[in-house]
Amino acid sequence: MPVFWIIIALLGLAAVGFLLGRRNALSSVEGNPTLLHSRPNYYGAGVALSALIPALFVLAVWLFVQPLLIDTRVSGAIPADAIPEGSTLGLVMNDVQRLASGLEQLQEMGRITGREITDLTTDGDIRARLGEIGFALGSDVRPEVLDAARQFRTLESTGRLFMTIVALVAAVAGFAINLSRVHRDKRARNQVEGVIKALLLASACIAILTTVGIVLSMLFESINFFRQYPITDFFFGTQWAPNFRGNSDLGIIPLLWGTMYISLIALLVAVPIGLFSAIYLSEYASRRFRAIAKPLIEVLAGIPTIVYGLFALLVVGPMLRDYFAQPMGLGNSGSSVMTAGLVMGIMLIPFVSSLSDDIISAVPQTMRDGSLGLGATKAETIRQVVIPAALPGIVGAILLAASRAIGETMIVVLGAGAAARLSLNPFEAMTTVTVKIVSQLTGDTNFASPETLVAFALGLTLFVITLGLNVIALVVVRRYREQYE
Amino acid sequence: MKDTRHEQRDTTMNDVKISASGVQVYYGDNHAIKDVDVEIKDKTVTAFIGPSGCGKSTFLRCLNRMNDTIDVARIEGDIRIDGEDIYDPNVDPVQLRAKVGMVFQKPNPFPKSIYDNVAYGPKIHGLARNKAELDEIVEKSLRRAAIWNEVKDRLQAAGTGLSGGQQQRLCIARAVATNPEVLLMDEPCSALDPIATSQVEELIDELRTNYSVVIVTHSMQQAARVSQKTAFFHLGNLVEYGDTDQIFTNPRDKRTESYITGRIG
Repeated sequence: MPVFWIIIALLGLAAVGFLLGRRNALSSVEGNPTLLHSRPNYYGAGVALSALIPALFVLAVWLFVQPLLIDTRVSGAIPADAIPEGSTLGLVMNDVQRLASGLEQLQEMGRITGREITDLTTDGDIRARLGEIGFALGSDVRPEVLDAARQFRTLESTGRLFMTIVALVAAVAGFAINLSRVHRDKRARNQVEGVIKALLLASACIAILTTVGIVLSMLFESINFFRQYPITDFFFGTQWAPNFRGNSDLGIIPLLWGTMYISLIALLVAVPIGLFSAIYLSEYASRRFRAIAKPLIEVLAGIPTIVYGLFALLVVGPMLRDYFAQPMGLGNSGSSVMTAGLVMGIMLIPFVSSLSDDIISAVPQTMRDGSLGLGATKAETIRQVVIPAALPGIVGAILLAASRAIGETMIVVLGAGAAARLSLNPFEAMTTVTVKIVSQLTGDTNFASPETLVAFALGLTLFVITLGLNVIALVVVRRYREQYE
Repeated sequence: MKDTRHEQRDTTMNDVKISASGVQVYYGDNHAIKDVDVEIKDKTVTAFIGPSGCGKSTFLRCLNRMNDTIDVARIEGDIRIDGEDIYDPNVDPVQLRAKVGMVFQKPNPFPKSIYDNVAYGPKIHGLARNKAELDEIVEKSLRRAAIWNEVKDRLQAAGTGLSGGQQQRLCIARAVATNPEVLLMDEPCSALDPIATSQVEELIDELRTNYSVVIVTHSMQQAARVSQKTAFFHLGNLVEYGDTDQIFTNPRDKRTESYITGRIG
């Protein structure tokens, strides 16, 4: 039975369990719900959950473990001399799985019977028959592969059968046990709430585990990279010249420099404008102006970055070149650090202003009253009381903007170009770490060469930098925070 | 609870500090204060009592123009401090508030150190020429607020870390640091426990030697304990105003009598 139908069956069982649990609970007190420990729905939900949870758990574990087990068994059965020159066991297993699913599809379409599959030989035109239904095989089928595919299919179908049985048995058992315990004094509510708590915990864990997984995968690929490329050359090399025939210079310094330079300019634009507009909106603006202006500023955050990139490429870049760079003799490149920085700064304004505005508005009115009552002007109050009280949140907003700036790719590609360069001139084209990650991984890549693996090392470095920024900000905020209440 | 010394001083210090006449306050469509006339004397504690929502806090906030910070509030009438109309367009509300200090219902120390809380006002108004003078003002204010001994060893600690009663006395120190002439207190003890309350009440009695103090309170016992003059507000009207002893022992108005005996409130 396919997993989909198993789940439908389980849900049906759970629904029945809910109704029965509820009914039994009510009948145990002769229909007077006030005598029950919990509301009747909790008894129903308890039965439904005890039918669902064990069965779903079995399903999840089984679906994860079965392919691993089958894989080991089948690949163990493939003789070593069946692996052609230049291939690996993994590649052969790929063929086996592909052939097995092709046969499965043929059988489902009724073009072949189970009997025929057992009798199939490699002399037959398996490849052609699969081709008829649009299932292309890379090469002719060899006998070992065919045998392995048959074994694979048998194991898989038995596994599926057992899985269905075990899951349904688990569901029915949970259902029956819980239903038999439905009783007026049963603490059904506490039970259900326990399940909800576990669900919340699991959700929190998923986020954490995913982060750990991402970091680990990058870490392993980076280690691979550093086996092939000296770590000092990567971190201290001032040349970025990848060459897919080998012998590349993969120094991160020019990329980091570009990233920092562009982010700095972006923040120099976004932080003052964003912060000042937040102060105006939260402290000075009339309610009506605020109601109109705030959503309008937030529209900026909704514009896709590729559109900002186009704006940089077509408007800002040429303008800066014609009116600033060329007259001042600073170069004649349309794409430049300045272009990307300015446009990115505009993109970041709403991140700074909207969050800061919320945080400033959250500072209690009593703080302002206290200051005004001492004869401070509004500006003094804002500068010396409101902003310090809101500082942790404001730093958080700026930090969010900074990590957006560091991670931004599209605006950089279109605004600053893709040439890695170490220069102080803001009107020259440069590029950032993220752009290079993209360019190293696009196209026909070989995942074993340092030119590709460098992307993971770049990504990991970027991650460490943003993490470091977060930690620094946390420390700064903790030290200088002026906490109200 | 009143000794004769107070009475004597009342007669010798009889000059009027604040005089209000025909004051009307509107919050939007709500007529919150209706035609209030009152004369508040210098170096005296004046208590405003009345049931919740009677307008006593609103009237208090008119005296240092704190109602200006509320958009919908509109004030009519004439309020003079030392004969000067405080709603005159030439008067800077910021200057006025330095002269008329305010202590709020809930202790609201700034999220700064104890020292900086007190030094805030003097710094803004340039009352100290150097650090030594500022230190002196801070110490004097903290002493006057009867909190110096408790905080002198930790002036750099956060003001928000103090207990509720200490916070309120810190706020009083902060208010007296700018050298005001009038001190407005909006239910200064309502968030405090009885011990802290009695400390603040003692303080109020001492402050009277230097300032004119106006205190809004819900507690009639408190009004009787600390004030020499009492005003009773009801539904936005000033019902009765007179010596505290007379209000509590021999009220002239029926409503005052009902309120102090607990029949309305």
